[in-house]
Amino acid sequence: MSSESLILFFIVGAVFVGAVLIFSSLVPPKSKNPQKSEAYECGIPTTGITWLQFNIGYYLFAILFLVFDVETVFVFPWAVVMKELGMIAFVEIIIFFVILGLGLLYAWKKHALIWE
Amino acid sequence: MLTIPIETQILFAGILFFLGLIGLLVRRNMIFMLMSIEIMLNSAGLVFIIAGNHWKQPDGQVMFIFILTVAAVEVAIGLALILQVYHHYKTLDADAVNKLRDQNSK
Amino acid sequence: MGLEQYLLMRHELVLTLITLIILIAELCIKGDNSRKIRPFAIILFFIATVVGFLPLGEGSLFGGMFQTNGMILIMKNVLNIGVLIIFIQSYTWLGNEENKIKVSEFFLLMLSTLIGMDFMISSGDFLMFYIGLELATIPIASLAAYERTKTKSAEAGIKLILSSALSSGIMLYGISMLYGTTGSIYFSEVAKSLHSSNLQTLAFIFFFSGMAFKISIVPFHLWTADVYEGAPISVTSYLSVISKGAAVFIFVIMLFTVFRAMTAMWQDVLYITSVLTMTIGNLFAMRQKNLKRFLAFSSISQAGFIFLGMIGGNELGMTSVVYFMLIYIFSNLGAFGVVSAIANRTGKENRDDYDGLYLTNPKLSLLMMIALFSLAGIPPVAGFFGKFFLFTAAAKGGFYMLVLIGVLNTIISLYYYLLVVKAMFINKSETPIQYFKSDGYTRLGLIICFAGIVFTGLFSFVFEYIRVYAFGV
Repeated sequence: MSSESLILFFIVGAVFVGAVLIFSSLVPPKSKNPQKSEAYECGIPTTGITWLQFNIGYYLFAILFLVFDVETVFVFPWAVVMKELGMIAFVEIIIFFVILGLGLLYAWKKHALIWE
Repeated sequence: MLTIPIETQILFAGILFFLGLIGLLVRRNMIFMLMSIEIMLNSAGLVFIIAGNHWKQPDGQVMFIFILTVAAVEVAIGLALILQVYHHYKTLDADAVNKLRDQNSK
Repeated sequence: MGLEQYLLMRHELVLTLITLIILIAELCIKGDNSRKIRPFAIILFFIATVVGFLPLGEGSLFGGMFQTNGMILIMKNVLNIGVLIIFIQSYTWLGNEENKIKVSEFFLLMLSTLIGMDFMISSGDFLMFYIGLELATIPIASLAAYERTKTKSAEAGIKLILSSALSSGIMLYGISMLYGTTGSIYFSEVAKSLHSSNLQTLAFIFFFSGMAFKISIVPFHLWTADVYEGAPISVTSYLSVISKGAAVFIFVIMLFTVFRAMTAMWQDVLYITSVLTMTIGNLFAMRQKNLKRFLAFSSISQAGFIFLGMIGGNELGMTSVVYFMLIYIFSNLGAFGVVSAIANRTGKENRDDYDGLYLTNPKLSLLMMIALFSLAGIPPVAGFFGKFFLFTAAAKGGFYMLVLIGVLNTIISLYYYLLVVKAMFINKSETPIQYFKSDGYTRLGLIICFAGIVFTGLFSFVFEYIRVYAFGV
């Protein structure tokens, strides 16, 4: 791949995005009907605001889930080649687990695991 | 098997990157700003995968796994900080969060 | 292939160990006793700093992902010293009532960022570099929002995380283009296949923008003043000294090794940005009344001076950058130490509040004066030699015009540094800050800074010692 063409594509990318944004704000017919801005234009009127306040507990659990969710990404490749890598890799992954476990213990100590 | 030419792939990543950048500059809601940054990170990750495929190396994918992790961490911390800002300002508008500024500029 | 090869990453291992010990200690502590962590953590880190000075060989690990040599070792030790001073300075502030539930988190986050910086400096490929960079940046954002009750602190945190995430996104895109064109993420391989094609130039510009955010070079400096003002003083001094220092170190290494083939190109970029940075940093610093903002802009303009050392691309340049950073750590931490001691006691951070400080607190104002003189580069103090060597390195590379602009900017900077000195020594005030006696830890931190400024200025062997390990393009 020659770099000139890539630069060209790069510029085309920038222009394309900009052009679409400008185009889409110029072209469509403007309608000021308040029903247009509703979430379900032909459905039942929604009640309340969209920015509902969620319980903060969801957030904490989501974060804790995220940690162990992403952990899988690392453990999975290791598990595939575990036998070839041998003992060193096993010890390394144990250290990884221990550090993550300490993090979980920390969350426990700070009462992040209690649903309030 | 249908193969997509590498130029098209890179073009796609480039569009994604600029979408993220423009989103960051246009949007004033801080959660959307954070999402735009994630799009930028993912477009860079996409280029890594494309290039890794092009050079027939696993390095690109390894890089992407780590980008994924870092992006997750950034979201976690970013959301926590956004919550804290919301707690103080009662708004998510980035323009309203401006207590810190040059006192001399009026 | 024994286990002893891992001793090459001794700095990182020791720091990780300390971090884990503090984490476990935090888990074991019951109730409100986490203030007791402070002396424990400081002593542990002091040991780590001393251990860091033991001699260590050169080599690389993990197939070249991690590399170390004498120069990198010096850089890590410089950072360690700075962090130790910051820990000592923040001792009193951490003892405040509102901080008592989060004392160990301060140390944990600081140490994790330091681990990130050490890995970043030692990195031998872009993967390690990127992870180190992110580990060095993200925890800082939560530290900037450390004072949960203060609105300004929360704002500083969100501004820091958004701008640093943006910068790392841009940098990552640049790195991905480098990988696309060269086919490797290892520094040594990338250096071989660089040939200044258009795309690689673009990749370098992206990469440079990302680094410029971290060092706060002028087109990318907008976050600096706000974050510095909003964050707690210990975090501000950490950002202005340690974060900036680590980014400068890895940047100089990468310019001299990875981007060697593009030297002519990056010299142009550095030329323009350094002139802009020095000038704009100076012009804005003049107008600031808040001392934290003032020091923020002064540190922006100092970053411009640091580029003077890099631009020549010679080994004198690398030596002078590291030497300047060492002096800058002592001087800036001295200035921040005084500001923090006074702010802790009285809550005053403005220049007008310092009127007549010499009459009430002579020792503090003398130290502030020496630190500011050192930042400005007035001859008897260490800062003069730091700037002098930076200018020499640039002149050796043939950038005489740039040196002239640098000298002019030094003169401009004298004006605003002297404004603070004038406020302390000459201005009269009806309500000066009352005399107060600092506690032992604050004084210890200030004495270390004072000794550092004097020591690095008086003894030339520090410079010679660094020079042994330096290398050029």
